[in-house]
Amino acid sequence: MSDKSQGLSKAQEIYLNRSKRVRELKATGKKIIGYPCVYVPLEMLTALDLVSYRTCGDIKEPVTEADRALPSSFCPIMRTCLDCALKSKNDFLDGMVTVHSSDPQEKTARVWESYINYPYFHFIDMPSTIRPEAIEYFKSQLNDFKKTLESFTGKKLTADKLKAAIKSHNQQRALVQELYELTKPAPPLISGTELVQVVKALMSLPVAEGNNLLAQVIGEVKDRADGPKKKPARLLIWSSTLDDIDVMQVFEAKANVVMDESCGSIRAYRGSVKLTTDPLDGLADYYMKEITCARTFRQANIGETKKDYAKDIQSRFGYLKGIVREWKINGAVLLLVRYCDPFAFEMPSLKDYLDSIGIPSTYIEYDYTIGALAPLRTRVEAFLETIR
Amino acid sequence: MRQSAKNISPEVNLYFAGVDIGSTMTKVVLTDTADRILSAIKGPTGPEHRQLANEVMRMALEQADLQLGDISYIVATGYGRVNVPFADDQITELSCHARGVSSLFPNVRTAIDIGGQDAKCMKTEKGKLVDFVMNDKCAAGTGRFLEVTAATLGIRLEDMGDIALKSTKKIQISNLCTIFAQQEVVALLSRGEKLEDIIAGLHDALASRVAALARRLKIEPDVVLTGGVAKNIGMVKAMKESLGCEILVPEEPLLTGALGAAILAKEIYMKATAEGEPIPTKPRRLEKATFFQQ
Repeated sequence: MSDKSQGLSKAQEIYLNRSKRVRELKATGKKIIGYPCVYVPLEMLTALDLVSYRTCGDIKEPVTEADRALPSSFCPIMRTCLDCALKSKNDFLDGMVTVHSSDPQEKTARVWESYINYPYFHFIDMPSTIRPEAIEYFKSQLNDFKKTLESFTGKKLTADKLKAAIKSHNQQRALVQELYELTKPAPPLISGTELVQVVKALMSLPVAEGNNLLAQVIGEVKDRADGPKKKPARLLIWSSTLDDIDVMQVFEAKANVVMDESCGSIRAYRGSVKLTTDPLDGLADYYMKEITCARTFRQANIGETKKDYAKDIQSRFGYLKGIVREWKINGAVLLLVRYCDPFAFEMPSLKDYLDSIGIPSTYIEYDYTIGALAPLRTRVEAFLETIR
Repeated sequence: MRQSAKNISPEVNLYFAGVDIGSTMTKVVLTDTADRILSAIKGPTGPEHRQLANEVMRMALEQADLQLGDISYIVATGYGRVNVPFADDQITELSCHARGVSSLFPNVRTAIDIGGQDAKCMKTEKGKLVDFVMNDKCAAGTGRFLEVTAATLGIRLEDMGDIALKSTKKIQISNLCTIFAQQEVVALLSRGEKLEDIIAGLHDALASRVAALARRLKIEPDVVLTGGVAKNIGMVKAMKESLGCEILVPEEPLLTGALGAAILAKEIYMKATAEGEPIPTKPRRLEKATFFQQ
């Protein structure tokens, strides 16, 4: 292995064996806290020297154990996440933090809590609009979260500690944004598959180690000669969760994925948290407004959804316009994980919005299992044939 | 619509092939430079489906009196498209159907294909696929729905359509799931409903499912129905009623994918030749296709 690809190799290694590092840290006495969704403010964990670890599912693992607790026509991601937990794949966790980002997640949190007895478990309630009252309410929830964390660790979560943690996480956000700049050239310097590996590695490491990994990857990718080959299309993938390279490779077989808009990617790292006097203000504002997941409704103004449709879809999807232009995207795949209602209901409006800015798009549904990939491949290839 | 290769004028001497490996049937169409169909063969895909492409191709070549080496360019399509060792290129069945249907019906804008495992609706413009929808991977809304329910009723699949036309009473089959519809059929039989009414109800259920899928796109005339299910006269009638418009059906509704693949093969070949580009082709050996190759 040449020195040049050390960062990417390391990311790949962590992707394939995600819990290795946190198990090592656990052995040195660190406490590891799991979270299934990027709406959990990790800064609050980092500030108390807790290591955050995103609990993912496994597309290759048939769901068996979760069947005794969850219906089969239910968010496949939550099903596989819980299934992996019930199969003791996360047995190193000292605690879990879940959040009401969607109803399946809220219901699963209750089941999770009752089946597995973690020393620490916390559920953050979360409103679904970005009205000022909603943000105020979310802040009160973060205050509750703070209290249970303090009681679990026996340490005070001071403003200074929290500000320092916010700075580290903001640095991570800036580095991820810098990494995504490297998909702008044609061909891109880094593939969608590599991005999935890097981001999943970040979600398996303490923030400082993640930042080192990012700096290393950016350094070596910037002037690499062995990057992805140029393909006929530059795609945007818009999805709830795309965190598996087998799925990504379905797209990358015949196209360059230059932007994967999912919570296994840059969606979790856009913008930055403002350092407010009470740091919880900045955190509440950031998590409610900056993460562009379909679970939060960005209505234009009260009562305007129907009255001014163009303005409404602009305020919900306007952020994509600059991305499409800057990354020279010529096609978008709206990838729906089955039973994900928040994303399913956004699809028609998003398709209208993309039409309005001249980007052809297609809507594809799959069920987050490895068996679903053959029909997915046909749909992706057919879409690429329409835009060729 | 077939003719022997030997009767074609001497200036036309290039041949093209489309191989469509669907979930149930494998189809091969051989064409010439003028898109004339020289031979067309259908064979069952079978459980070891990838291995039969060479056999169907051999039969097609025999019918056209050609050798594999005579074929300038071969395009494979359908679910088995990646496993055909002698195919030069792979194109999805959506683009191939769109192309094939357009060559038979130049005014087509909407093509609906109901196969053994999936249903799809394609919008076309000048022979090119511009938009599409496909059903979920479940059997509802596919030919399998009729296959399974025919078996429950002890009726041959090919008789289903004719029997449906005799119906005098509307029966609503409310379950879209193939398995639950099967149970519903049993309940209707025990209630004393007539066979032809139940079968007509099944056709209506399938048609309304496919029509709902198709309506996700804007349905514009001409509308063409293809796939094995298009051979069922009861189904064509039910689709007309569900969509509320006239429906055209090709003489050989199973072959449009393979025909489109052959025409696209010609277009790729001709374009590359005109631009002086090299055209990479695979060895012309009739090898068994296997899932594990490459």
